[in-house]
Amino acid sequence: MSKSTSNRYVEIVNLTKAYPNPFGRDIEVVKDFNMILKKGEIVSVIGHSGCGKSTVLTMVAGLNPISAGELAVEGKQVSGPGPDRSVVFQSPCLLPWMTSLENVMLGVKQCYPHGSRKQRRQICEHYLNLVGLADSMHKYPREMSGGMQQRVGIARAIALKPQVLLLDEPFGRLDSLTRMDLQDTILEILDREKITTMVITHDVDEAIYMSDRICMMTNGPEATVGQMLEVPFARPRVRAEILDHPRYYDFRFALIAFLEKQEHAKDAHVKSVHEKLRESQNELVAAG
Amino acid sequence: MPEQTRIEKIKYGLLKTIDVSGFKVFDPVVRLFFGEEPQKQVKDITRYMLMPILFVCCCLVIWNFVAPRHKTKSGEVPTPEQVWSALKVNDTLHNRENEKESDFTLSDKERDERIKEVEILIAKKEEESKKLKEDLTTIDAEVTKKKDESLAPLKAKYTELKAAHKEARAERAAEAQKMADAVAEKKSGTEDLLTLLRQSNKTKELEKEKEQVVKDQIAKINDDKPKVLQNAKMASDSVATEVQHLKKRLDYLTSGNRSMKVGKAKESATTALTKLESAQSSAEILAAAKTVVKSEERADKIAKQEYPRASTIWFQMWRSLFTVFIGFMMAAVVAIPVGIMCGLNRVAMACLTPIISIFKPVSPVVWLLIFQIVVGAFFPNPETHPFFLFLNSLPIVGRLNSNPALIFSACTVAMCALWPALVNTALGVSSVENDHINVAKVLRLGLWSRLTKIIIPSSLPLVFAGLRISLGVGWMVLIAAEALSSSEGLGKYVWDQYQNGSSLTFANILLACFVIGIIGFILDRIMIVLQRAVSFDDGAATV
Repeated sequence: MSKSTSNRYVEIVNLTKAYPNPFGRDIEVVKDFNMILKKGEIVSVIGHSGCGKSTVLTMVAGLNPISAGELAVEGKQVSGPGPDRSVVFQSPCLLPWMTSLENVMLGVKQCYPHGSRKQRRQICEHYLNLVGLADSMHKYPREMSGGMQQRVGIARAIALKPQVLLLDEPFGRLDSLTRMDLQDTILEILDREKITTMVITHDVDEAIYMSDRICMMTNGPEATVGQMLEVPFARPRVRAEILDHPRYYDFRFALIAFLEKQEHAKDAHVKSVHEKLRESQNELVAAG
Repeated sequence: MPEQTRIEKIKYGLLKTIDVSGFKVFDPVVRLFFGEEPQKQVKDITRYMLMPILFVCCCLVIWNFVAPRHKTKSGEVPTPEQVWSALKVNDTLHNRENEKESDFTLSDKERDERIKEVEILIAKKEEESKKLKEDLTTIDAEVTKKKDESLAPLKAKYTELKAAHKEARAERAAEAQKMADAVAEKKSGTEDLLTLLRQSNKTKELEKEKEQVVKDQIAKINDDKPKVLQNAKMASDSVATEVQHLKKRLDYLTSGNRSMKVGKAKESATTALTKLESAQSSAEILAAAKTVVKSEERADKIAKQEYPRASTIWFQMWRSLFTVFIGFMMAAVVAIPVGIMCGLNRVAMACLTPIISIFKPVSPVVWLLIFQIVVGAFFPNPETHPFFLFLNSLPIVGRLNSNPALIFSACTVAMCALWPALVNTALGVSSVENDHINVAKVLRLGLWSRLTKIIIPSSLPLVFAGLRISLGVGWMVLIAAEALSSSEGLGKYVWDQYQNGSSLTFANILLACFVIGIIGFILDRIMIVLQRAVSFDDGAATV
């Protein structure tokens, strides 16, 4: 593999999502989003809720058609969904009529079409082991807690041996203790498997702890990359050490400052809209 | 959590079974049995079990009270007791058919033994019958005597009244004549004569009414059948029919027996064979040979003969169940794939919507007539058609005498049961959770595994909900179709009862009503259990 592909493993160029507006110009939710991921890198995308983070991820995953722009993985342009970019959704999305093993098996069958039944089973068991579910392989989703269900979801995504792992607020619905636990589990796996990963989150601490770089998104519409932040902590990371690191709070401050600025901008935007409305009303009153 | 004890395991297993089978009413009974919060359970039992039972009992009491007070053309409305006895009568009829059938097929030693048994029974029953008849005559004599005694004064009164009235009438006639004469002689006006005649007519009416009252009293006493007499008559009649039945059985064991008939046919074949051997001229030989072959053929045919069963209510019930099963299966086989197609593809849905909308509201009666014509064309000779030969050669189904009527009844059921299953399947398939669809997309599942792993499992609860409605509709439609088309089954049973008008008619119809209702209920319960078995979450509805 050449160095150039390893440095430009995933290329997202001018990614745009526009929804048709029957009474005017198309509404561009995301516009000209550019990002390049190195091989094995973990990049977080952080932003206010509703800014278009998830839209970017679903477009990268191929679940949401791209309006404009291009996407390439390992130098090859891709369109549509595929097991090379596996997704962990915010809700576990397990099939309730299948055990955790069967849920993982569903993807494994697709990726190892030539493996024997026994081999496939071993793969499934291996990944369920990795996420700490060795005892719950034959349980149905309804018999497991939300955290355990999400672990199955992670095992299913990783068992596909994806080139890119896309995490869409995977811990959004979990309590903070379970969340930390799962963060460690995922980091452990990622450190070992070196999968290029994109994490969508709105949690500042999570972003710093997990990623090599953090992409801060501006508020929509026409959301795009606002700032990039390098997080040069060494891997494997230990939570306590990171929290004690002198630069931790610098990063945290930078992120929060950016997010607050976005919030103010939004307020200002709303204000200006209101003012415009009032002006036009006044004009109307004056005219009438 | 501590490990469950064995008793707890049994308890929760039982509770789960009750829950899944949709008999949640019995939940408190089980809990009470295991001593869990007895007060609460007793309260629940009184509320949700005893009260409904009490209510049903109230309904029965009201029925029992109202029924005999409503006179109809075909007698009084039967009471619950009469319906119950109708059930017993129908059951005996069925058992007798079974006995006769087994008698018909018996042979050799078993037959001899059975003949002895039946003969002993006949002797016993005849004696009993004789005694009962004697009882009946004595009771009858007593009753008539009593009747005559109470009738004598009334009859005397009646003749007395009649004589007195006759006299009065003659008197009035004479008076009128006198008055008429007076009018002719201009001694008085016509007005007086007219009033006299009017008056006399009125008195005549009154006299007639008086006579009628006494007549009615006499008739009432004559019509009155004391309970003793009725019971004696019923006992005597039932034993008499029993004797008749036993004699019929004897007939089926001897001259009407299959093995005997076969024996006879074979005998004639052997005599014909000896004749053939001794025959001289070619004409004689040919004739004898023909007789041999004919007798042999007849013997073969008789050997295959089945007992010609009269159709009892249970037979009709099984046949209805078989018909509805076939119709339901046809509906499911069409509705599920088409429903899946409609759910997956909006164009397919758009194509089928006009057809569904137009044909769904069509009455089953119309379908029945259409299918009668269409299906009839496929089976010009149903007796020799391979399809029916095959159906009737099957072990259990064969006894149901399948014929084209069964097929077109089933088709009618299928046509009417199709729609709920189809619409629900389409709905189930089109409302698969978006998350699950996304999973399928990310995993790049092919159409087949997408169908089998995701779409079908997730729509199964709705599919089964639709099938449940279909089965209910099918069962209702079938009874009507059978009544209309004279296809054997419960519907035809009701229709036949309505037509033949015996004393038990009305009770039999009500009995059939209960049988149909109970079977419908059981079918629905089976569907609920199936629906719950395929539901992956525990929230399936039970109604």
